[in-house]
Amino acid sequence: MVLLSAPRWLRSRLSDRFWRVQEVLKYARHFRGRKNRCYKLAVRSVRRAFVKSTKARREKKRFLRALWITRIEAASLEHGLKYPAFISNLLKSQVELNRKMLADLAIYEPKTFKSLAALAQRRRQEGFLAALGDGKEPEGIFSRIVHHY
Amino acid sequence: MASYTKAAQQWATFARAWYLLDAKMQPPGKIAAATVIRLEGRHKPIYHALSDCGDHVVIINTRHIAFSGNKWEQKVYSSHTGYPGGFKQVTATQLHLKDPTAIVKLAVYRMLPKNLQRRTMMQRLHLFPEDVIPEDIEKNLLQEIPQPRAVPRRLDEYTPEEIAAFPRVWTP
Repeated sequence: MVLLSAPRWLRSRLSDRFWRVQEVLKYARHFRGRKNRCYKLAVRSVRRAFVKSTKARREKKRFLRALWITRIEAASLEHGLKYPAFISNLLKSQVELNRKMLADLAIYEPKTFKSLAALAQRRRQEGFLAALGDGKEPEGIFSRIVHHY
Repeated sequence: MASYTKAAQQWATFARAWYLLDAKMQPPGKIAAATVIRLEGRHKPIYHALSDCGDHVVIINTRHIAFSGNKWEQKVYSSHTGYPGGFKQVTATQLHLKDPTAIVKLAVYRMLPKNLQRRTMMQRLHLFPEDVIPEDIEKNLLQEIPQPRAVPRRLDEYTPEEIAAFPRVWTP
C-alpha cells in the first residue's frame, strides 16, 4: 500500500497480520490441543518442533542404519548365516555394497540376496580352510584379491 | 506393473503366520529369546517397529521346561499386591506348581521391548502346559521353530550296541 504523506504513514496499522499468523499456524495444524489453533501457544510449539526436527536429522541416520542391519540380519538368517559372518565375508570378497543396498536387495531381489549369502558362505569356508589347513590345499577362488590400480 | 500374482505375493509377504515351539527340556530363557524374535517380526526382511509385522507363536509343553543350575530353588519371582505388607516372593518351583505357563509367560513379557506394542505381542503368544492344543489353533500352524537346546539322551535311552561301540577313553 502506498502511503503518500507522513501523517498517513503515522496513522497506518498492521494490515497483513492474518497472513503473518497463518505462516506459523500452518505448521501447527496437526498438533494436539490448543496449540494447533492459538497463535501464542503455537509459536512456542512450532519453534520446538523445528528444533527437534533439526537435531533429529543426525539421529535419523543412526536409526536407519540400525533398521537396515536388522533387516539384513533377518534375511541372512533365512539363508543360514549370521549377520557378522555375512558382512565380514562379503567385504573380504570385495563386494562393497552398503547396508542400505543390501537391505533393499533383501526385500526386492531375494534371489540376488541368496546368491550373495552363498558367496559369503563360500568365502567363509575358504577362510576356515586357509586357517586350519596346512597350506597343501590350493588357495581359495573367492579369496583372491583383485587390485584396481 | 500390475499382475494378479504380484498381489497374491504381497498378501503372502504381509500375512501373519503361526509358529509352533516345543518347550520340552528347554531352558525358558532361550525359548523366550526365540519367540520374541518371531513376535516382533525381526525374522522378516520387511521388519519395521511400527508396521505390526509380528507373527503368532504357540508354545507347548511349558510344564516340562528345564532350568539349568539350581534355579528351580534359587530363582525368585517377586510381586506386590499394592496393599501394605503385600510384598510376595515365590521360588520358581512354587510358581511353576501354581501355574505351569507363568514362567515362560513372564520370561517372554520381560524380553519384549517395553513399548505399547508389548501387550499386543503378548496377545499373539499362546501357551499350553501339555501337548494338547485346541483344534482351531492347530489348524493355523504353519511351521515349527527348531528347539534352541539339543536335548541330551539319558543313559537308559542308549541301546546296548551303542554303549559297546563307544570308544574306551581310559581303562579302569
